[in-house]
Amino acid sequence: MNLVRFFGRIIPNDAHNLCGNIRQNYTIARNVHTSVVCSHFTFHETKREPKDDLNTVQHIWRGMNMLKDEVRMWKDEVSEAVKTDPLFLFPGNVDKVFKFNEPNALHSWIATADQDNKDGYSSCEFFIDENQKGVFQGFLTQTVPKDGERTRAGYCNLKSVKKRKSFKRESKFEWGMYTHLVLRVRGDGRSYMINLHTPGYYDVFWNDLYQFVLYTRGGPYWQVSKIPFSKFFLSSKGKIQDFQYGPSLDDITNISFTMVDKIEGPFKLEIDYIGVELDPNHSETSAYEMYKLPRGMANS
Amino acid sequence: MSRVLLKFSFQFSGYIRHSSALSHTVIMTRTNLFHFPQRSFADDEKSRLPRLNEFGNVENKSKEVFLTVINGYDVREVHKRNHVEFIYGALKQMKDFGVERDLEVYKAIVNVMPKGRFVPRNFLQAEFMHFPKQQICIMHLLEQMEDNGVIPDAELGELLVNIIGERGYAVRRFMRMMYWMPKFSKLSPWPLPTEVPREPFDLAMLAVKRITSVDPSTVISVFSTRDVEDSIDDTWIISGQSPVQQELLASHNKKSPVYIEGAFRIWLRKSSVYYFVLRGDPRPPPDPVETDFDDVSSFSAGNIFRPPVSEVAVQPSVHEQEDGVFYAVCCTGSSGKDSLLSWVRLMQKTNPILGEVPILFKFSSPNRDIVTTDGKNMDGGDQSKTDSQKQDDETAGGNR
Repeated sequence: MNLVRFFGRIIPNDAHNLCGNIRQNYTIARNVHTSVVCSHFTFHETKREPKDDLNTVQHIWRGMNMLKDEVRMWKDEVSEAVKTDPLFLFPGNVDKVFKFNEPNALHSWIATADQDNKDGYSSCEFFIDENQKGVFQGFLTQTVPKDGERTRAGYCNLKSVKKRKSFKRESKFEWGMYTHLVLRVRGDGRSYMINLHTPGYYDVFWNDLYQFVLYTRGGPYWQVSKIPFSKFFLSSKGKIQDFQYGPSLDDITNISFTMVDKIEGPFKLEIDYIGVELDPNHSETSAYEMYKLPRGMANS
Repeated sequence: MSRVLLKFSFQFSGYIRHSSALSHTVIMTRTNLFHFPQRSFADDEKSRLPRLNEFGNVENKSKEVFLTVINGYDVREVHKRNHVEFIYGALKQMKDFGVERDLEVYKAIVNVMPKGRFVPRNFLQAEFMHFPKQQICIMHLLEQMEDNGVIPDAELGELLVNIIGERGYAVRRFMRMMYWMPKFSKLSPWPLPTEVPREPFDLAMLAVKRITSVDPSTVISVFSTRDVEDSIDDTWIISGQSPVQQELLASHNKKSPVYIEGAFRIWLRKSSVYYFVLRGDPRPPPDPVETDFDDVSSFSAGNIFRPPVSEVAVQPSVHEQEDGVFYAVCCTGSSGKDSLLSWVRLMQKTNPILGEVPILFKFSSPNRDIVTTDGKNMDGGDQSKTDSQKQDDETAGGNR
């Protein structure tokens, strides 16, 4: 990039497309490159944001508007840090992380179905009902789109937005001191998947998930599911991994619920809260025993 | 055909042995090493073409017939030609024969594969997936087993080890299944039989039992609408009510109405059942007592071992939820309004208060929830909206 700045001017027609698509009619004062200039070097991006058609002034305007909330957030963070209020955990007390009785609760969740990704025909929605509970409902269909590629379909997902700090900095949940995930839900008898997203730095770890099943009773009564974190198993891109270890609880950025139980029909999951709890008697880190593979066998 | 034989004879020309069993032609002697069945090639050439649909012409589709076809292939094809295609064909047909959950049949299919032929000789072959087409075929079979919740056993593992060796990729998949599937098969806190009953009555009984599992003292009673005078429907009612709920209902405020709400859906594996609830308005929880632990002005030594009287409150039962007090739950054979009226009348024998309070129906027809699942109607994508239907409230006089 610096070389380009020094030796010539380059007019990329698309900032996101790299080496291949740079227009050839750039003017170069001194011809130093014999091959196409690579304007910048990057891998896949974790966060694919849609391109916006804003001009510079609009970008600045939008940024300034964002600044107000960000500064407010930053102020809270600073005051929180100044207080240095230590975290006291009492066994049996549930620290509610997600509640749905706030007006902003709806903005921190995203419902996606395979229909949205052109993977199928399921549909789902998420809203907060009159009792101030989150409702995740939809219709699961296993009809496979006839595109010749896909062989199975049918999923609906509800994912929290990525946790962040002020000024769009990345953040993570600090759950290292807790041992259990506690959910108060009312389902319809179907089983849901709870996912804890722990994306790592390198791209092979981006899809790391710790999963466990959320069984629901069905009926008018609410249920409290208390699940040890040690029960969560590691999977990536839908495949359970051979090497299992307990979730690193300080690296969780999102939590999500998935409806993939291969049963066609409507589903409905009401969520009161999602919390975490400390049980000092629970010392297990991973519930899954490991075996030594025969010598020379590659783990695949 | 001659080209094929030439190819064979050319390939194995160095291995010709003289055999006592003489064949009809000279060429045949050269390939005698393979112990062909003694029949001419020309007359049954057609029969040796791969049969793509071995199971298509079968009329009586059952497990026995399925196993017979597999056995027929096993006997007919000495060299197991096209066994991969045969297995894929068999996997596709399993559902039609109703054997997709049968481990024995899966074993019979795997048994078609030749033993020992695909076993790698060294670890490099093993790591680079020796005989990939065959291994992927077995992995598809294992995947179908997993989709249907069939847990493999050690015998299948032995078969697979004999076919592709203990380092085969399909064996590794088998090992994963043996590790994970038993762990999750019995995990549900509300266990169900692998096949839920098809009879609506048994299914509804299972549903009511599951719903009322919150209160172990629940009494489930089965009524018939025939016992009620001038009832239109002739059907059954499964009703669940615990003594606690009876007490709660007896203490219901007679001025506020009792609601019959439904139809709600509960899923039992792949079947869903509609249920109805008898609900009262929510009761406010006991007031939280504000106590200041740092205030020692009223401290006296005598009170240490006695809980303060003002803090004692009756623990709300599980039936007192924040969106209402649930007095009873039921499933009926017709899920119709008339059967619910009969339910109220039958409940009145044990809960006389139902004759004194106004009863309000919040009833949404379950029929509107039924949605076609073929691809045509999927484009709208508003199936989920069917749940939030209009609810037609209707008073059904309080003097029943």
